[in-house]
Amino acid sequence: MSEILQIESILNKDYESVDLVSFQEWFENVNKLSKLSVGIIVGPSDDVSLIKDQLDCIELIVLDFNNFDDGRGYSQAYLLSKRWKFPGEIIGINAHLDQLQFMIRSGVTSYVLLDSYLGLDEKDYANGFSICYQEAANNSGLQKKY
Amino acid sequence: MYQYSPEDSNFLVERVDQFEKQLKRHLAGDLDDAKFKSLRLRNGLYMELHAHMLRVAIPYGTLSSTQLRSLASVADKYDRGFGHFTTRQNIQFNWIELPEIANLLRELSDAGLHAIQTSGKATRNITADPLSGLTEGEIEDARPYCELIRRWFNLHPEFSWLPGKFKIAINGAKLDETALRIHDLGLRLVRNNQGQLGFSVFVGGGLGAAAMIAAETASFVEVEDILSYLESTMRIYNLKGRRDHQKKLRIKFLVRELGADEFSRLVNEDWQQTKNDPNLKLNLVELEQLKKDFALPIKSLNLESFEEKVDFNYSIWKKNNVRRHKIDGFSIVNISLTKLGAAPGDATSEQMRILADLAEKYSASELRTTKRQTIVFPYVRKDQVYDLWQSLEKYGLASPHQGTLAQIVACPGRDYCDLAKAVSIPIATRVQERFNDMKRLLDIGDLNINISGCENSCAHHHVADIGLLGMQKNGEEYYQITLAGETLHETVIGKKLGPSVSGKIIVDAVETIVNVYLKNRLDQERFTDVFKRIGIAPFKEKVYE
Repeated sequence: MSEILQIESILNKDYESVDLVSFQEWFENVNKLSKLSVGIIVGPSDDVSLIKDQLDCIELIVLDFNNFDDGRGYSQAYLLSKRWKFPGEIIGINAHLDQLQFMIRSGVTSYVLLDSYLGLDEKDYANGFSICYQEAANNSGLQKKY
Repeated sequence: MYQYSPEDSNFLVERVDQFEKQLKRHLAGDLDDAKFKSLRLRNGLYMELHAHMLRVAIPYGTLSSTQLRSLASVADKYDRGFGHFTTRQNIQFNWIELPEIANLLRELSDAGLHAIQTSGKATRNITADPLSGLTEGEIEDARPYCELIRRWFNLHPEFSWLPGKFKIAINGAKLDETALRIHDLGLRLVRNNQGQLGFSVFVGGGLGAAAMIAAETASFVEVEDILSYLESTMRIYNLKGRRDHQKKLRIKFLVRELGADEFSRLVNEDWQQTKNDPNLKLNLVELEQLKKDFALPIKSLNLESFEEKVDFNYSIWKKNNVRRHKIDGFSIVNISLTKLGAAPGDATSEQMRILADLAEKYSASELRTTKRQTIVFPYVRKDQVYDLWQSLEKYGLASPHQGTLAQIVACPGRDYCDLAKAVSIPIATRVQERFNDMKRLLDIGDLNINISGCENSCAHHHVADIGLLGMQKNGEEYYQITLAGETLHETVIGKKLGPSVSGKIIVDAVETIVNVYLKNRLDQERFTDVFKRIGIAPFKEKVYE
């Protein structure tokens, strides 16, 4: 199970606060929590296949991208979004500016940048290219060449 | 010859623009060293012992004469007039100034060249047989497949931050010039019983401190399904690969820890979810277009009246450097860049321009690069081979070393590389000096010596007839010897001979090994065949006596 940062809630796309639980807490109290519209924080080492049958009971999912070189979050986002069609938001936290394009195309629906990137132009990095060479969870705005 | 479309060229420019912004932030102190390192490596840029090194991709080893001139220009303008052809169909420039990198990359992009993913923990340059399309018995030219797979994994959103680097080779020929089973992933073009074309897939090969041969994870994947199969392989690696131990990052460690059967099972389980997704099928229309783009630019010639020149030096060069072409009237010419004292694979900008001129005159403006760090002219008319040789001779490029012991593969070693434990190039020079008699070289025949300066094994010493691995012992340089590795007919990791040998006497040890081989050779037996027959003991006995 993951070594997760201690955040307890996050704002959804309607700016409402949603309570968050860790991956471990979710499994320890799944019967109770699945009725409470909570979100889950998933760390890079958490096995997302364990929640694939419970996605209807989860309000939103938060993926942690803090470790710049750890790419597991991109596969987690792809599986949740594209393969298991999670209907809620997938929020990437501790996001790095230079990786936004990868996160968004993998299926992350919104993100919270690390404070160190404040003041830099996100659009430059979120939409760095005009074409894409492969199918992905989200290729909107890109000319497909594959 | 295949060229990038305007959209592809624009993509290269966009990539340079993005990297330039990242570089500016780094130089302004707004992007820390660790993150910048991760980003610069994905653009082929290393920090070496003395300066920055840039690795530029030569996809599937195919270059146009125009591209080679562009590389020569970069060598003059941004380096010290040199480029270094590597064992994986890249070219490296060793003296790059950081602030100039964006302009350099823009110049390359004008020629359809780039350094994208030539390093870093992502899919690297995809290599192919340098003789693709040229030899008899080939299943198919692998290059159109290389190009489609290269594109698919170009800035792939899910697989650009893998646990470790990921090298792919694709072979469509009978012999394996790509060494695909020492790659993270190797694809062999095959036909099944129904005559359908597909791939055998091998995963988990690699050299380094723990050399491993890739295991076959699928005996036949249809061409159309290869992208989804590769994605499933990378997904299992991305999610389950070791990230906790710097020396166990490569996929070979995951395959070893899980076992090849379990790894294949996991990949298959994932693949069943995507195999039928029409968006993940290889684009067969585009494939057909690429096959036309890569079609050979020559037609068979009737040269019955042509008479070969009689010239002793020419005939020696021809024996070692010229190969039969599948198209009547043409030859394949291999050009060795080997020079005493220079790093194997090094070429001056002047040599690059000469080769570009000669390729235009004699080889339909096309060149190939090989893992033995040589240059191939793929389309030389048989009646022009002599003229080409004369021109090469004039410019000092007619070394007849190809296919002899003197065509040594060596990494830059401790003279240039930050990671190396021992020198490589001076050892190569000393071996070449010891074996400088052409009669003796011809008698010995095709025998590979590869020299790596450290366990990273950039010179592929594990798969050479004689492999030397540099190391340090009490401040002195030593070399571990491995024997009878190979990849061409089958993949075999060389056997360690015994305790490492001091650099002072390593050339004596090499000569002793060659002498044991010659003494025991029957007819034209290859080194590996002699080794299989007599075992390691006779070599050991003589080297350590």
